[in-house]
Amino acid sequence: MAEIAAPEVRPGTVETVEDKPELTRDPGYLVICWNDPVNFMDYVTHVFQRVFGWPRVKAEFHMLQVHEQGKSILARESLEKAEHYVHQLQKHSLHATMERDE
Amino acid sequence: MRLLRASKGNYQFHLGEREKHVFCEVLGLYPCIPPAHQPLSKNAKLPDGEVNQHLLDEALAEQRAENQKLLQTFLSDPLRLVAIKKQGDDGFRLTLSPAELEWLLQILNDIRVGSWLKLGSPEEPRLVLNAATMPHVWAMEASGHFQVQLLAAVEKRDAGS
Repeated sequence: MAEIAAPEVRPGTVETVEDKPELTRDPGYLVICWNDPVNFMDYVTHVFQRVFGWPRVKAEFHMLQVHEQGKSILARESLEKAEHYVHQLQKHSLHATMERDE
Repeated sequence: MRLLRASKGNYQFHLGEREKHVFCEVLGLYPCIPPAHQPLSKNAKLPDGEVNQHLLDEALAEQRAENQKLLQTFLSDPLRLVAIKKQGDDGFRLTLSPAELEWLLQILNDIRVGSWLKLGSPEEPRLVLNAATMPHVWAMEASGHFQVQLLAAVEKRDAGS
């Protein structure tokens, strides 16, 4: 069923591997994922892997940070890229926002 | 739902008769998360915050509409869930490409999170069961059940690759 595959492939691994988020100081928008009691831990890990192209270990690290500390900063990006990541995370029904890094 | 095969090309699952019914019923509930539910930011310091929020809401609404169309096609495809008549193993075969599995995970999670929202976003894992909450609890648990099976299949495939 190629029709189903089409919209999913675009935001998936292939595209996001190319623009991996870097926690550099510049520019300055933080992509944050917040804890909620409904999303499965494995699902959150899976989404982080898919959206950011991260290896499982890194995705699990951030998932545990969300779970134990209530939130995790996933990336520091330009406005446009941060918006892109928040959209991808919200598309997967995760509680994600972007905040200005001050 | 039982994984029969996970390869690079596709995933094949077995579903019993009742499970297939639950699978189709729960998918039919999509979408459950209300539109314009998620804020782009928790503070108001983003440039063009309102415009960007509107664009995000629009993008999510478009995606929801697209998913609804795809879901209709998915559920009405006679080759999607193929009846199997084997002694002692009656049921249905569900075959999914990796992209379709990813898409289904998204759909199921919308149903799970949306049902949880309809229950008032309870913090407690123990939910009060009554006539009003039961349909949402059912949807949350049923979608969660299928999500777990799909995630286990991905893990199995990744471990084998």
